[in-house]
Amino acid sequence: MRFIREFPIIVALSFLFGLAFTGLVLGPVFASDIAQPSAKLVAYTPTEQAGRHIYVREGCVYCHSQQVRNVKADQNMVDAYGVSKAGDYYYDLPHLLGTSRQGPDLSNEGQVWGKASGEFAREYLIGHFKNPREYNPQSIMPAFNYLSDRELEELTDYVQSLGAWKVTPDPTEAEAKS
Amino acid sequence: MTTSPVSTSTSALSPSDDRLNFPQTIAFPALERRDYAMQTWLFSGVFWMVVAASIGVIEAVKLFHPEFLQGIPALAYGRLRPVHVNIGIFGFMSMGYLGAAFYMVPRLTQTALYSETLGVLTAWAWNLNLTGGVLAILMGFSKGKEYEEMPFPFDMMVGLLEIAIAGNLFSTITVRKEPRLYVSLWYILLAIIPFPIYYTLGNVMKFRGIEDAIVNWFYSHNLFGLWLTSLGLATLYYIVPKQLNKPLYSHAISFLGFWTLAAFYPWNGGHHVIWGPVPMWVMSASVTASIAMLIPTIATMVNFGGTALGTQGVMKRDISYRFSILAYLSYVGTSLWGSTLAIMDLNAKLHFTSTTIAHVHLGFVGFGLAGLVAFVYFYLERSLKLGYSRTLAEWHFWLTTIGIIGYVTSMGWLGWLEGSEWAAGNSVQGVLELRYWYNVARAGSGGLLLIGQLILVWNIWKTMTSPPSDGAGLDDLKSVSLNEGVVL
Ligand code: HEM
Ligand code: HEM
Repeated sequence: MRFIREFPIIVALSFLFGLAFTGLVLGPVFASDIAQPSAKLVAYTPTEQAGRHIYVREGCVYCHSQQVRNVKADQNMVDAYGVSKAGDYYYDLPHLLGTSRQGPDLSNEGQVWGKASGEFAREYLIGHFKNPREYNPQSIMPAFNYLSDRELEELTDYVQSLGAWKVTPDPTEAEAKS
Repeated sequence: MTTSPVSTSTSALSPSDDRLNFPQTIAFPALERRDYAMQTWLFSGVFWMVVAASIGVIEAVKLFHPEFLQGIPALAYGRLRPVHVNIGIFGFMSMGYLGAAFYMVPRLTQTALYSETLGVLTAWAWNLNLTGGVLAILMGFSKGKEYEEMPFPFDMMVGLLEIAIAGNLFSTITVRKEPRLYVSLWYILLAIIPFPIYYTLGNVMKFRGIEDAIVNWFYSHNLFGLWLTSLGLATLYYIVPKQLNKPLYSHAISFLGFWTLAAFYPWNGGHHVIWGPVPMWVMSASVTASIAMLIPTIATMVNFGGTALGTQGVMKRDISYRFSILAYLSYVGTSLWGSTLAIMDLNAKLHFTSTTIAHVHLGFVGFGLAGLVAFVYFYLERSLKLGYSRTLAEWHFWLTTIGIIGYVTSMGWLGWLEGSEWAAGNSVQGVLELRYWYNVARAGSGGLLLIGQLILVWNIWKTMTSPPSDGAGLDDLKSVSLNEGVVL
């Protein structure tokens, strides 16, 4: 313990790091829109959760974002579905925002190929998972033909849940009307 | 390779003097060769570098020819990509540069490494743990967030091992014989000390929704900025003055660069979610800090630039130095580019495009790979006093340089086109055709890079198995000269 001249350095570095930690990690905990779910948002059902797990396992997030920004590049999505808000992700663990758009954004896939479109949408999604190039020869999405039928069903349930809640009537509103 | 035991220099620190030295009494004679730990780390890093690049090429091919290796779950793109990233960061960059750190610390402190045995054991444990972690990802156990995919218990082991590594290096610095702390040691301290905090935060703690994303990026950016960049810069600060045999341009500028980097980097995390669903102040704080990063970047640019001025002769002669310059230019380029990517309007256009991928590879390949390779040649020549094949090294240099330029320009330009298309209202499906040839070019550049690195491995192998030449000892523990770094 002869030369402790590094200790002032360490104290200063800890201070600088602590500052950023307080700002970026502790601060957001107290942001109200993060701590509350968006109105109408519903939790994932067990099969949707299982599907989400497959989405994580297969690394879909590396090509598909789930985030609509209020910028020109996202304008079409903003017009159709609105901008993503912090509360939309309340039930997401882990988060799957994504950083790349090798493939299209999926945050509103439950409206694009939603349950409302019936069996047709389901068949499309499952067929597309198994062989994307049957539908778009230019697609570079991997063929997930090794997933079991059950896994494909679960994954489809999950994908159809994305953003679908935005269009279902708010139960509290419906109650208030009746 | 030297086999002299370190006991002469540790006798002054025998356990009876100081209880802190207790771990030193646990020593396997077979592992107590000088520099054994640093060699284990360094060459493991080189090994993982080749693995990361090979997987990179496979991925790159899949992005224009998806049928390649299709139908094998473990080789699906979505599983290979996190493996590429984790091997790149925790295998190649972390291990390689820790090798450099295990080399620099004893020399800059004029003190034998606190525990050579611990250093070697942690390196092998790290290797095993990383192998387990990536196999788990391939088998489908990913945690699912970028840079923190390795599942329990492999993630926890990384944190624990880092504490053992940090303890080893830190103890050496604390009991050092040389009172002055050269700037490389400052960067090493910055790398090793906060790591366990943000690593645990990112990997072990659970958050929900957007908080999870913010913490994910706080952790990841500290991983690039405080861990990898600091270790990389420490290495460049050590080897460049020695390669040139002249002092650093300015120690005052090193000082400025270091403290501004330490102050601003930890705030950068939020720039990965600009325009995203995060509180406005997270975004503005991170954008401000990212632009403030211009100060340390320019400080580094001026400092190394001033040192390198008028050294064209050395550049021709010394391939190791040429790699240092490549690393230096790439570092400055990546960082200036990063600061502009954080400008909100530009990010609106370029986020989600291949521009990010180009930025990343200029950082990891241009700066990370070239810097490590510079150190490897430096080490072979100056410390082991072995002559490597110059022809092979020339090939290695040019393949690497062309590979980097090809990769970064193809992806950088593609990203700009994608951004323009999307801003004009085109969809992702609408740019698929546009992407094709750029992706082919990227895979081709990656192939050149990979061939270059295979040449390096061959060259190292040939050099290490040939007898040493009898040049004067240039950089061993005794003759190390600190003059080039009159210390901060
Ligand atoms: C032969 C060289 C290499 C090739 C061909 C290559 C290829 C690729 C490809 C195709 C991707 C995915 C891009 C995408 O998502 O669109 C990628 C991502 C990545 N690579 Fe490499 N790579 C190479 C070397 C390296 C090395 C040596 C590292 C070292 C750390 C590295 C680090 C990364 C990282 C961190 C990402 C993730 C980027 C992000 O998430 O934004 N790569 N690489
Ligand atoms: C002053 C320095 C730097 C600044 C201000 C900076 C800024 C940025 C920004 C704004 C992004 C996000 C781009 C986007 O997604 O829209 C980014 C991504 C990234 N940067 Fe940097 N950068 C800097 C230096 C570096 C260096 C030196 C490295 C590597 C050693 C690096 C590695 C990365 C990686 C890996 C990502 C991709 C993260 C991901 O999306 O997966 N950066 N950087």
